[in-house]
Amino acid sequence: MDINELKDIFGECELCQDKVCVKSKLYEVLEYIKNNYSFNVLKSITAVDLGSDVELLYRLFSTEDEENAVISIKVQNEADSVIDLFESARADENEIYDMFGIKFIGNEDLKRLYMPENWEGFPLRKDYVQDDTRLAWNDNSDNA
Amino acid sequence: MITATTLKLNLGPQHPSTHGVLRLLLELDGEKILSCEPDVGYLHRGMEKMAEGMTYIQYLPTVDRIDYLAGCFYSELLCRTVEGAMGVNIPERIRAIRVTLLELNRIASHLLWIGAFLMDLGALSPFFYAMREREMILRYFEKLTGQRMMYNYFVFGGVRKDIEYLEDIEEIIKILPYKLNDYEKIITDNLIFLQRTKGKGVLEPTTALNYSITGVNLRASGVEYDLRKTDKLYEGFEFTPVVLEGKDSWARYKARILEIKESIKLIEQGVNKLKENTNFEQKHINPLNLKLPEGEYYSEIEAPRGLASIYIKSTGEDKPYRLKWRTGSYYSVNLLRKLLVGEYLNDAIAIAGSLDIILPEVDK
Repeated sequence: MDINELKDIFGECELCQDKVCVKSKLYEVLEYIKNNYSFNVLKSITAVDLGSDVELLYRLFSTEDEENAVISIKVQNEADSVIDLFESARADENEIYDMFGIKFIGNEDLKRLYMPENWEGFPLRKDYVQDDTRLAWNDNSDNA
Repeated sequence: MITATTLKLNLGPQHPSTHGVLRLLLELDGEKILSCEPDVGYLHRGMEKMAEGMTYIQYLPTVDRIDYLAGCFYSELLCRTVEGAMGVNIPERIRAIRVTLLELNRIASHLLWIGAFLMDLGALSPFFYAMREREMILRYFEKLTGQRMMYNYFVFGGVRKDIEYLEDIEEIIKILPYKLNDYEKIITDNLIFLQRTKGKGVLEPTTALNYSITGVNLRASGVEYDLRKTDKLYEGFEFTPVVLEGKDSWARYKARILEIKESIKLIEQGVNKLKENTNFEQKHINPLNLKLPEGEYYSEIEAPRGLASIYIKSTGEDKPYRLKWRTGSYYSVNLLRKLLVGEYLNDAIAIAGSLDIILPEVDK
C-alpha cells in the first residue's frame, strides 16, 4: 500500500509506526484500499480509550498478497460504520458500542451486547465508575 | 418484518445443542427461516476489563478460560506477546514442546466437536467414541500439568517444567489414525449423515471472507489461509494445510478429520525433535517485576476455531492499559445471520453446529 497515494487523494494521512493514521473520511479510505489493494478481510476493529478521545484500529488483510494493514482513526463519540464494505464489522461495531459507547452512523443494529439492556455506562472507558454499587458482590451494593 | 403469517422462535439460550448459552431469535415462515438474530453475552466474564486491573502474571492463568477446549492457544498468545515485547527468543526445545502440546490440544478440541456435532444430528455413539479418544489426551495433560482443561502450563519465556511421558504421546498418535478410520467408516459415507450435511449451509468463499471467517471453516470453502504456514513457532515443521472445495457442512466435517491427521504429523515431528534435543533451558523473565515497554503489541495464532489474536497497549506500567482479544467464534456467530436464512428449521442446528461455535470464546 502506498501512503503517498493515499495522501494525494485524501489529504490528512500519515504513517505512524506501522499503522496508517487518518483524521477523517474513514469510510472512503477503507473503500479505496479495499477496491485498489484487494484488502478483502477486516480481521477486527479494536477500540482504545486514550482519555480525550477513542482510537479505532482497523486490521485489514489481503488473502491475495497475504499482507496486513492497520488503519487508525481517533473519534469522539461517533464514527462511520463500515458494514457496507465488510459484514464482519457488524460484530465489532456492536461490541465497541457496548464497551465504549461509540455510535456508528449507518449501523442500525447497535444494542447492548454483553451488558444488560438497561445498563448505564460503558465498562472499558477509562472514566467508568470503578466501585459500582449495582454489582451484587460489592459490599456497598444496592441489592445487598 | 413481522406479519401475521410469520412466527418468532427463540432457539436457546438453554438449548442442549447450542453448546453453551447462545440465543438465536429466528423468524419463521412455516419451517423456513426468514431471518436470524443472534443474542450473545450470557457468559460474559469481562476478560478484557479484568486484564486492566491485573499484572501480566496474575492474568496468565485466566486466559485458558477464554476457550476451555483449547486453552493452550490463548496462553501461547499472551506468552508470545510478552516475550516479543521483552525481546526474548524461546529456545528450540521449548518451541518443540509448545507445538506438540498445541497440536494435541487442537486434536482434543476437534474430537469433541466431531462427537458433539454428530450428537446434534441425533447420532449418539460417535460422541462416546470421540470422548474416549479425547480422554487419552486429557489424561496425558493431567499427568503432565495436573489439569485436564485449564493447563496454565506455558509461562513467559518457556513452560512450567520440562515435558515428560513422551511414550504416552507416541501411544496416542499410534492409536488415533486407526480410530479415525473407524469414524470415517461409521460417519463419512453414512447416508443419513450425508442427507443432513451435503449441500447444507453452503458458505461461498467471498461471503466467508466478508464475514471474516477464518480457520477450518474458511479452508473448507476453498481458501488456502493457514497461519501456521507463516508462524515462527512452527518453523521447521512440515505439514499441508487442509483445503477442501465442498463449502458445505460435510466439507467442514471432513476438513476437521483431515486436520487431525495433519496435527498427528506435526506431533510426530515434535516428539522426534524433543528426543533429539534434550537440552532443557528456559529464558527467564521475572514475572514479579514485569513491565512491558511503552507501545502497542499484536500477535495472532491459528486456533482450532479460526484466527485468534491479542492486542496489548502498554504505557510502561506493570498492567496493560488496554488488552483486546479477537476470537474466531464471535465472527461465526455473526455469520449465522446470513447462513441460516432460507434454510429449514431442522437444519438450523446442523448448520450452526458445523461452524464449531464455542460460547465462552464469543462472550470473552
